[in-house]
Amino acid sequence: MNNMLVVQDLKKEFDQGGHKVAAVNGINLAVRQGEFASIIGRSGSGKSTLLSLLGALDSPTSGSIVIDGQDITRLHGPALSRYRRSTIGFVFQNYNLVPNLTALENVLLPMEFARLPKKQQVARAASLLEGVGITGDAQKRKPGKMSGGEQQRVSIARALANHPKLILADEPTGNLDSENGRRVFEILHNLTRSGKATVVVVTHDLEIAGRTSRVFQLMDGKLTT
Amino acid sequence: MGRGVDGCANGRGNQSSSRNSCVAALGDRLTTSNSNLVSAIEAGTLGQRRANESGTTSGGSTVPAPSGSPRAMQNFTPPVTITGVNSVNGTSTFGGSSLSWTSGQAFDASKDISEAVVGKNLATKNNLSVGSTFKAYGATIKVVGIYDAGNDFANNGVFMSLVTLQRLSSQSGSITSAAATVDSADNLATATTAIKEALGSKADVTSSQDAADQLVAPLSSVAHISLLSLLGAVTAGAVIILLAMLMIVRERRREIGVMKAIGARNGSIMWQFMVEAITLTTLALVVGLGIGIAAARPITDSLVSTSVGSTQSTQTAVGPGSGPRGMGPGAALRSVGTSSAQTLTNVQASVGWPALVLGMLAALSIAVLGSAIPALIISNIKPAEAMRNE
Repeated sequence: MNNMLVVQDLKKEFDQGGHKVAAVNGINLAVRQGEFASIIGRSGSGKSTLLSLLGALDSPTSGSIVIDGQDITRLHGPALSRYRRSTIGFVFQNYNLVPNLTALENVLLPMEFARLPKKQQVARAASLLEGVGITGDAQKRKPGKMSGGEQQRVSIARALANHPKLILADEPTGNLDSENGRRVFEILHNLTRSGKATVVVVTHDLEIAGRTSRVFQLMDGKLTT
Repeated sequence: MGRGVDGCANGRGNQSSSRNSCVAALGDRLTTSNSNLVSAIEAGTLGQRRANESGTTSGGSTVPAPSGSPRAMQNFTPPVTITGVNSVNGTSTFGGSSLSWTSGQAFDASKDISEAVVGKNLATKNNLSVGSTFKAYGATIKVVGIYDAGNDFANNGVFMSLVTLQRLSSQSGSITSAAATVDSADNLATATTAIKEALGSKADVTSSQDAADQLVAPLSSVAHISLLSLLGAVTAGAVIILLAMLMIVRERRREIGVMKAIGARNGSIMWQFMVEAITLTTLALVVGLGIGIAAARPITDSLVSTSVGSTQSTQTAVGPGSGPRGMGPGAALRSVGTSSAQTLTNVQASVGWPALVLGMLAALSIAVLGSAIPALIISNIKPAEAMRNE
């Protein structure tokens, strides 16, 4: 199977009080298409920074990130927006839904940015929400009136809106109880089982990591396994 | 003024319209020799001194007497002024005040008719009432109305038809003054020039240009204050909108980061904030315009009355010191002030389409710039940074 993600000699340094600190320090890794990979490590080990670099939310100091054959470190402006919109779907630990939009409208947003026809948008958004168990009137509720589990499921539906090839999830179960955590994990896992997407998840939870097909352990910005 | 002021001297052509008019007048004096009327005004110190010095007064009740004679002082009385006019409505008395009726009504100024209106002081002094008669120039004149002009000198007068007075006083075709009124202060200079050209050397023509300038001066001041207020409001509005949008955009920094993370273009983010700002500004415009239109009249009235008030107080302060009490430039200036106040009371505020459109464009432009600039700054930050530094 082809590699969906290839990271080579990736480095990200931050300026702290006049000296450079490497949050990600020379990482090399590869994830195959349809694989469910997890990145584990202690707080401050560089997990979230690595995920931000993979999602093009931040730019690396050096190194390359090739996703589906395209080096995203060379992308800028509209091409970078197109990559974030179409190739990846990002799931955040604290959901990051737009508070004054309903669940349905939040899922519509990426399709709006992709300029899909309005009818197609609504039908797909409703279908995605139903797929993660948000049905009926719940789709018209705003995030403030939803539980954490519901919000995370809406967040996953939003990440899937534009048929991304790669799902990046930063602690997706971190704020959820075990039942909701298990449910969210299953949704992500099913995506890889059906071959619809490759999933890379950052987690503290060793149990979840143990159920993924590949585990990368990070310490002080470097991979240990 | 002399003879032959066409259309104004003979009772024809006056009041060609409600706003353009020409009132001609012939002034004369009634004394004990040509009338049985007794003046209602006692001689003041100045008049008595003149009587003492000359033993006579021009047009007054004259009794030759040696200088300093007590008899001369007793018999001197100021004359009664009689004025022939071709229009009662446009008539103003000495000092500029207009006539108001205490009883009776006006005579028909367009006809040669032996009727007159008398001032209330003169009527009281001579026991005259509506329907009474008095003698003047050997004719019997019927009193048809009694007026009050607000001051003792004016209330010691008689008004009658111009043509009648011209006939009785053997001054047919003559007038002593004519007052032309123009419809707008803007036309005053043009009208004055035209009248001078038409009359040539037959008459001295003076205009109330200074008075007109004084009339318009408060409005210029109001316009200046309004313009400064407008500039201040626009500047304050621009600063407030810019700061408010900056705050809003900063508060929603994380939201911007999220939108960028899920694929929003910088242009989309800017457009979203501009639409929000335009929507809020449009709502504020509707409310603001409603309040503005409702408040325009009271504010204009207040500004105009304040401006006129300050003009009047200046004029009144100048008046009394500038001439004889109640008769000189002081009185004239007071009348101008009163006239300005009366005219400026009717100033109305109106909001024209150009002002509305310009105001709306200014507000919307400020909203667009005020929202686009902060959104552009924030949208250029990387999503991770925007979400990290909340």
